[in-house]
Amino acid sequence: MSQPLRTADLEAYLDEALAAEEMARIEQAIRRQPQLVAQLAALCAQRDAGVHSLGAIWRRHRLSCPTREQLGSFLLGALDDGLTGYVGFHLDVIGCRYCQANLADLKNRQVEQLEAAETRRRRYFQSSAGLLRRKC
Amino acid sequence: MPASETDNLLIRRIQEGEADAWRELIARFEGRLLAFVRSRIPDRATAEDVVQEAFIGLLASLPNYDRRRPLEGYLFSIAAHKLTDQLRRDGRRPRLPSILAGTDGSGSEGPGPARAASSIVRSGERRRLEETAVVAALAGEIEHCRRHAQWQKLQCMELLLVRGWSNKEAARQLQVSEQAVANWKFEFTARLRTCVRNQDLPAEVFPELYENV
Repeated sequence: MSQPLRTADLEAYLDEALAAEEMARIEQAIRRQPQLVAQLAALCAQRDAGVHSLGAIWRRHRLSCPTREQLGSFLLGALDDGLTGYVGFHLDVIGCRYCQANLADLKNRQVEQLEAAETRRRRYFQSSAGLLRRKC
Repeated sequence: MPASETDNLLIRRIQEGEADAWRELIARFEGRLLAFVRSRIPDRATAEDVVQEAFIGLLASLPNYDRRRPLEGYLFSIAAHKLTDQLRRDGRRPRLPSILAGTDGSGSEGPGPARAASSIVRSGERRRLEETAVVAALAGEIEHCRRHAQWQKLQCMELLLVRGWSNKEAARQLQVSEQAVANWKFEFTARLRTCVRNQDLPAEVFPELYENV
Protein backbone atom coordinates (compact mmCIF):
# COMPACT_ATOMS: atom_id res chain seq x y z
CA MET A 1 0.00 0.00 0.00
CA SER A 2 1.56 3.27 -1.05
CA GLN A 3 -0.25 5.56 1.39
CA PRO A 4 -1.33 4.91 4.97
CA LEU A 5 -5.06 4.85 5.72
CA ARG A 6 -5.90 7.95 7.69
CA THR A 7 -9.00 8.67 9.75
CA ALA A 8 -9.86 11.43 7.28
CA ASP A 9 -9.76 8.84 4.46
CA LEU A 10 -12.18 6.57 6.30
CA GLU A 11 -14.52 9.48 7.04
CA ALA A 12 -14.52 10.43 3.37
CA TYR A 13 -15.02 6.79 2.43
CA LEU A 14 -18.22 6.73 4.47
CA ASP A 15 -19.52 9.68 2.45
CA GLU A 16 -18.41 8.33 -0.96
CA ALA A 17 -16.31 11.47 -1.20
CA LEU A 18 -12.89 10.14 -2.17
CA ALA A 19 -11.63 9.67 -5.70
CA ALA A 20 -12.69 6.30 -7.13
CA GLU A 21 -9.20 4.81 -6.98
CA GLU A 22 -8.89 5.82 -3.32
CA MET A 23 -12.29 4.26 -2.59
CA ALA A 24 -11.11 1.04 -4.24
CA ARG A 25 -7.90 1.12 -2.20
CA ILE A 26 -9.90 1.31 1.03
CA GLU A 27 -12.20 -1.50 -0.07
CA GLN A 28 -9.17 -3.68 -0.75
CA ALA A 29 -7.79 -2.80 2.66
CA ILE A 30 -11.10 -3.73 4.31
CA ARG A 31 -10.96 -7.14 2.67
CA ARG A 32 -7.44 -7.67 4.00
CA GLN A 33 -8.05 -6.14 7.43
CA PRO A 34 -11.56 -6.90 8.69
CA GLN A 35 -10.88 -4.83 11.81
CA LEU A 36 -11.34 -1.75 9.62
CA VAL A 37 -15.07 -2.48 9.64
CA ALA A 38 -15.13 -1.94 13.39
CA GLN A 39 -13.16 1.27 12.89
CA LEU A 40 -15.68 2.52 10.35
CA ALA A 41 -18.54 1.60 12.66
CA ALA A 42 -16.87 3.50 15.48
CA LEU A 43 -16.60 6.57 13.25
CA CYS A 44 -20.32 6.34 12.52
CA ALA A 45 -21.06 6.06 16.22
CA GLN A 46 -19.01 9.21 16.84
CA ARG A 47 -21.07 11.02 14.23
CA ASP A 48 -24.24 9.89 15.89
CA ALA A 49 -22.90 11.34 19.13
CA GLY A 50 -22.47 14.72 17.45
CA VAL A 51 -18.72 14.69 16.95
CA HIS A 52 -17.53 16.53 13.86
CA SER A 53 -14.23 17.66 12.37
CA LEU A 54 -13.03 20.71 10.50
CA GLY A 55 -12.01 18.61 7.50
CA ALA A 56 -15.36 16.86 7.20
CA ILE A 57 -17.19 20.20 7.44
CA TRP A 58 -14.86 21.73 4.84
CA ARG A 59 -15.46 18.82 2.48
CA ARG A 60 -19.19 18.56 3.04
CA HIS A 61 -19.76 22.27 2.45
CA ARG A 62 -17.34 22.15 -0.47
CA LEU A 63 -15.70 25.30 0.80
CA SER A 64 -12.78 25.31 -1.62
CA CYS A 65 -14.39 23.68 -4.64
CA PRO A 66 -14.09 25.70 -7.84
CA THR A 67 -17.39 26.73 -9.38
CA ARG A 68 -18.72 24.85 -12.39
CA GLU A 69 -17.94 27.91 -14.48
CA GLN A 70 -14.34 27.82 -13.29
CA LEU A 71 -14.15 24.11 -14.14
CA GLY A 72 -15.42 24.94 -17.62
CA SER A 73 -12.74 27.60 -17.98
CA PHE A 74 -10.17 25.12 -16.66
CA LEU A 75 -11.13 22.74 -19.47
CA LEU A 76 -10.70 25.54 -21.99
CA GLY A 77 -7.38 26.59 -20.47
CA ALA A 78 -8.81 30.02 -19.76
CA LEU A 79 -7.90 30.39 -16.07
CA ASP A 80 -4.85 32.24 -14.81
CA ASP A 81 -1.84 30.15 -13.82
CA GLY A 82 -2.43 30.30 -10.07
CA LEU A 83 -6.04 29.18 -10.25
CA THR A 84 -5.23 26.58 -12.90
CA GLY A 85 -2.64 25.06 -10.58
CA TYR A 86 -5.05 25.07 -7.67
CA VAL A 87 -7.92 23.49 -9.62
CA GLY A 88 -5.60 20.76 -10.90
CA PHE A 89 -4.44 20.11 -7.35
CA HIS A 90 -8.00 20.00 -6.02
CA LEU A 91 -8.98 17.49 -8.69
CA ASP A 92 -5.90 15.28 -8.68
CA VAL A 93 -4.30 15.48 -5.24
CA ILE A 94 -7.31 16.13 -3.03
CA GLY A 95 -9.31 13.96 -5.43
CA CYS A 96 -12.60 15.81 -4.98
CA ARG A 97 -15.19 13.40 -6.41
CA TYR A 98 -17.82 16.11 -6.87
CA CYS A 99 -15.53 18.32 -8.92
CA GLN A 100 -14.23 15.31 -10.85
CA ALA A 101 -17.84 14.43 -11.69
CA ASN A 102 -18.57 17.98 -12.80
CA LEU A 103 -15.47 18.04 -14.98
CA ALA A 104 -16.32 14.65 -16.52
CA ASP A 105 -19.85 15.91 -17.23
CA LEU A 106 -18.52 19.04 -18.90
CA LYS A 107 -16.22 16.93 -21.05
CA ASN A 108 -19.04 14.53 -21.93
CA ARG A 109 -21.30 17.35 -22.96
CA GLN A 110 -18.77 18.33 -25.57
CA VAL A 111 -18.79 14.91 -27.19
CA GLU A 112 -22.01 13.13 -26.29
CA GLN A 113 -24.78 12.82 -28.83
CA LEU A 114 -27.68 14.99 -27.78
CA GLU A 115 -30.07 12.18 -28.57
CA ALA A 116 -28.51 9.84 -26.01
CA ALA A 117 -28.74 12.45 -23.27
CA GLU A 118 -32.35 13.24 -24.20
CA THR A 119 -33.32 9.56 -24.01
CA ARG A 120 -31.79 9.28 -20.58
CA ARG A 121 -33.43 12.45 -19.31
CA ARG A 122 -36.83 11.35 -20.63
CA ARG A 123 -36.46 8.10 -18.73
CA TYR A 124 -35.59 9.88 -15.47
CA PHE A 125 -38.50 12.25 -15.95
CA GLN A 126 -41.04 9.54 -16.73
CA SER A 127 -40.00 7.43 -13.77
CA SER A 128 -40.31 10.28 -11.29
CA ALA A 129 -42.78 12.89 -12.56
CA GLY A 130 -45.70 10.95 -11.07
CA LEU A 131 -44.39 11.98 -7.66
CA LEU A 132 -44.72 15.70 -8.43
CA ARG A 133 -47.40 17.41 -6.41
CA ARG A 134 -50.51 18.17 -8.42
CA LYS A 135 -51.07 21.85 -9.03
CA CYS A 136 -53.98 23.28 -7.06
CA MET B 1 -20.82 27.21 -2.04
CA PRO B 2 -23.99 28.86 -0.76
CA ALA B 3 -27.44 27.99 -2.11
CA SER B 4 -28.27 30.01 -5.21
CA GLU B 5 -31.45 31.96 -5.77
CA THR B 6 -31.84 30.22 -9.14
CA ASP B 7 -31.82 26.82 -7.47
CA ASN B 8 -34.30 27.93 -4.82
CA LEU B 9 -36.64 29.24 -7.50
CA LEU B 10 -36.37 25.97 -9.39
CA ILE B 11 -37.14 23.99 -6.24
CA ARG B 12 -40.14 26.23 -5.49
CA ARG B 13 -41.54 25.57 -8.97
CA ILE B 14 -41.03 21.83 -8.53
CA GLN B 15 -42.73 21.93 -5.15
CA GLU B 16 -45.69 23.54 -6.90
CA GLY B 17 -45.81 20.58 -9.25
CA GLU B 18 -44.41 22.23 -12.38
CA ALA B 19 -43.30 19.45 -14.73
CA ASP B 20 -41.11 21.77 -16.84
CA ALA B 21 -39.13 22.73 -13.77
CA TRP B 22 -38.56 19.08 -12.93
CA ARG B 23 -37.45 18.42 -16.50
CA GLU B 24 -35.06 21.38 -16.23
CA LEU B 25 -33.58 20.11 -12.99
CA ILE B 26 -32.98 16.67 -14.49
CA ALA B 27 -31.34 18.18 -17.58
CA ARG B 28 -29.05 20.31 -15.42
CA PHE B 29 -27.88 17.72 -12.98
CA GLU B 30 -28.16 14.23 -14.46
CA GLY B 31 -24.84 14.37 -16.30
CA ARG B 32 -22.75 15.20 -13.25
CA LEU B 33 -24.64 12.68 -11.10
CA LEU B 34 -24.11 9.97 -13.70
CA ALA B 35 -20.41 10.79 -13.87
CA PHE B 36 -20.24 10.64 -10.06
CA VAL B 37 -21.88 7.20 -9.96
CA ARG B 38 -20.06 5.78 -12.97
CA SER B 39 -16.72 6.51 -11.39
CA ARG B 40 -17.64 3.68 -9.01
CA ILE B 41 -20.02 1.62 -11.12
CA PRO B 42 -18.79 1.49 -14.70
CA ASP B 43 -21.83 -0.49 -15.87
CA ARG B 44 -23.91 2.18 -17.54
CA ALA B 45 -27.35 0.67 -17.01
CA THR B 46 -26.77 0.08 -13.28
CA ALA B 47 -25.33 3.57 -12.87
CA GLU B 48 -28.35 5.08 -14.61
CA ASP B 49 -30.63 3.15 -12.26
CA VAL B 50 -28.81 4.65 -9.28
CA VAL B 51 -29.20 8.17 -10.70
CA GLN B 52 -32.87 7.48 -11.31
CA GLU B 53 -33.24 6.45 -7.65
CA ALA B 54 -31.47 9.65 -6.62
CA PHE B 55 -33.97 11.81 -8.52
CA ILE B 56 -36.87 9.90 -7.00
CA GLY B 57 -35.21 10.35 -3.61
CA LEU B 58 -34.98 14.10 -4.17
CA LEU B 59 -38.67 14.37 -4.96
CA ALA B 60 -39.58 12.27 -1.95
CA SER B 61 -37.50 14.47 0.34
CA LEU B 62 -38.60 17.84 -1.05
CA PRO B 63 -41.05 18.59 1.78
CA ASN B 64 -38.03 18.65 4.13
CA TYR B 65 -35.63 20.41 1.74
CA ASP B 66 -33.50 23.03 3.49
CA ARG B 67 -33.26 26.00 1.13
CA ARG B 68 -30.00 27.14 2.70
CA ARG B 69 -28.34 24.00 1.41
CA PRO B 70 -26.91 24.14 -2.12
CA LEU B 71 -28.97 21.96 -4.44
CA GLU B 72 -26.01 20.32 -6.12
CA GLY B 73 -24.52 19.24 -2.80
CA TYR B 74 -27.86 17.89 -1.68
CA LEU B 75 -28.25 15.90 -4.88
CA PHE B 76 -24.73 14.50 -4.57
CA SER B 77 -25.46 13.39 -1.00
CA ILE B 78 -28.63 11.57 -2.11
CA ALA B 79 -26.74 9.99 -5.01
CA ALA B 80 -23.97 8.92 -2.61
CA HIS B 81 -26.55 7.32 -0.37
CA LYS B 82 -28.14 5.40 -3.27
CA LEU B 83 -24.72 4.45 -4.58
CA THR B 84 -23.75 3.11 -1.16
CA ASP B 85 -26.91 0.96 -1.14
CA GLN B 86 -26.03 -0.43 -4.57
CA LEU B 87 -22.43 -1.16 -3.61
CA ARG B 88 -23.62 -2.98 -0.50
CA ARG B 89 -25.97 -5.07 -2.61
CA ASP B 90 -23.00 -5.87 -4.86
CA GLY B 91 -20.94 -6.87 -1.81
CA ARG B 92 -18.36 -4.14 -2.41
CA ARG B 93 -19.14 -2.12 0.69
CA PRO B 94 -19.27 -3.76 4.11
CA ARG B 95 -22.37 -3.65 6.26
CA LEU B 96 -21.40 -1.97 9.50
CA PRO B 97 -22.34 -3.51 12.85
CA SER B 98 -25.68 -1.97 13.79
CA ILE B 99 -24.93 -1.86 17.52
CA LEU B 100 -22.25 0.74 16.97
CA ALA B 101 -23.52 2.48 13.91
CA GLY B 102 -26.90 4.08 13.65
CA THR B 103 -26.05 5.31 10.18
CA ASP B 104 -23.48 4.55 7.53
CA GLY B 105 -22.34 8.08 7.27
CA SER B 106 -24.68 9.22 4.55
CA GLY B 107 -24.91 12.96 4.53
CA SER B 108 -23.56 13.73 7.97
CA GLU B 109 -20.24 15.10 9.01
CA GLY B 110 -17.47 13.07 10.57
CA PRO B 111 -15.37 12.90 13.67
CA GLY B 112 -11.87 14.04 14.36
CA PRO B 113 -9.06 11.67 15.10
CA ALA B 114 -8.96 9.69 18.32
CA ARG B 115 -12.10 11.06 19.87
CA ALA B 116 -14.32 8.61 21.71
CA ALA B 117 -18.02 8.86 20.94
CA SER B 118 -18.86 9.15 24.59
CA SER B 119 -16.54 12.11 25.14
CA ILE B 120 -18.74 14.60 23.32
CA VAL B 121 -22.45 14.11 23.10
CA ARG B 122 -24.27 17.21 22.03
CA SER B 123 -27.66 18.13 20.72
CA GLY B 124 -28.29 18.49 17.00
CA GLU B 125 -29.01 22.17 17.53
CA ARG B 126 -25.70 22.74 19.29
CA ARG B 127 -23.86 20.92 16.54
CA ARG B 128 -25.53 23.04 13.87
CA LEU B 129 -24.49 26.21 15.69
CA GLU B 130 -20.90 25.00 15.88
CA GLU B 131 -20.92 24.03 12.24
CA THR B 132 -22.35 27.34 11.10
CA ALA B 133 -19.68 29.24 13.03
CA VAL B 134 -16.86 27.10 11.67
CA VAL B 135 -18.13 27.21 8.08
CA ALA B 136 -18.13 31.02 8.20
CA ALA B 137 -14.62 31.09 9.64
CA LEU B 138 -13.21 28.53 7.21
CA ALA B 139 -14.87 30.23 4.24
CA GLY B 140 -13.35 33.53 5.34
CA GLU B 141 -9.86 32.06 5.55
CA ILE B 142 -10.19 30.28 2.20
CA GLU B 143 -11.41 33.46 0.56
CA HIS B 144 -8.47 35.34 2.09
CA CYS B 145 -6.07 32.83 0.49
CA ARG B 146 -7.79 33.14 -2.88
CA ARG B 147 -7.89 36.93 -2.83
CA HIS B 148 -4.18 37.09 -2.10
CA ALA B 149 -3.35 34.25 -4.51
CA GLN B 150 -1.93 32.21 -1.63
CA TRP B 151 -2.53 29.00 -3.53
CA GLN B 152 0.17 26.94 -1.84
CA LYS B 153 -1.09 27.88 1.58
CA LEU B 154 -4.62 26.86 0.57
CA GLN B 155 -3.34 23.58 -0.86
CA CYS B 156 -1.41 22.97 2.32
CA MET B 157 -4.41 23.54 4.58
CA GLU B 158 -6.60 21.35 2.41
CA LEU B 159 -4.06 18.52 2.68
CA LEU B 160 -3.78 18.93 6.45
CA LEU B 161 -7.43 19.40 7.34
CA VAL B 162 -9.40 17.67 4.59
CA ARG B 163 -7.06 14.77 3.79
CA GLY B 164 -5.51 14.51 7.24
CA TRP B 165 -1.92 14.55 5.99
CA SER B 166 0.93 15.26 8.36
CA ASN B 167 3.04 18.41 8.10
CA LYS B 168 5.89 16.31 6.73
CA GLU B 169 3.76 14.71 4.01
CA ALA B 170 2.28 18.06 2.99
CA ALA B 171 5.76 19.63 2.83
CA ARG B 172 6.97 16.83 0.59
CA GLN B 173 3.94 17.09 -1.72
CA LEU B 174 4.20 20.86 -2.03
CA GLN B 175 8.00 20.87 -2.12
CA VAL B 176 8.30 23.38 0.70
CA SER B 177 9.94 23.17 4.10
CA GLU B 178 8.15 21.75 7.11
CA GLN B 179 8.66 25.13 8.74
CA ALA B 180 6.66 26.78 5.94
CA VAL B 181 3.87 24.28 6.51
CA ALA B 182 3.92 24.93 10.25
CA ASN B 183 3.79 28.69 9.67
CA TRP B 184 0.82 28.42 7.29
CA LYS B 185 -0.96 26.14 9.69
CA PHE B 186 -0.40 28.51 12.58
CA GLU B 187 -1.68 31.53 10.63
CA PHE B 188 -4.68 29.71 9.28
CA THR B 189 -5.77 28.12 12.54
CA ALA B 190 -5.11 31.20 14.69
CA ARG B 191 -8.06 33.01 13.17
CA LEU B 192 -10.21 29.92 13.39
CA ARG B 193 -9.37 29.57 17.05
CA THR B 194 -10.39 33.17 17.65
CA CYS B 195 -13.69 32.49 15.94
CA VAL B 196 -14.27 29.35 18.01
CA ARG B 197 -13.51 31.29 21.19
CA ASN B 198 -15.80 34.15 20.18
CA GLN B 199 -18.62 31.69 19.72
CA ASP B 200 -17.94 30.28 23.20
CA LEU B 201 -17.30 26.88 21.68
CA PRO B 202 -15.23 24.62 23.94
CA ALA B 203 -11.79 23.63 22.66
CA GLU B 204 -12.74 19.95 22.72
CA VAL B 205 -15.20 20.45 19.85
CA PHE B 206 -12.44 20.96 17.26
CA PRO B 207 -9.21 19.66 18.81
CA GLU B 208 -7.51 19.88 15.39
CA LEU B 209 -7.17 23.61 16.04
CA TYR B 210 -4.99 23.02 19.06
CA GLU B 211 -2.78 20.20 17.79
CA ASN B 212 0.90 20.93 17.17
CA VAL B 213 0.53 24.71 17.07
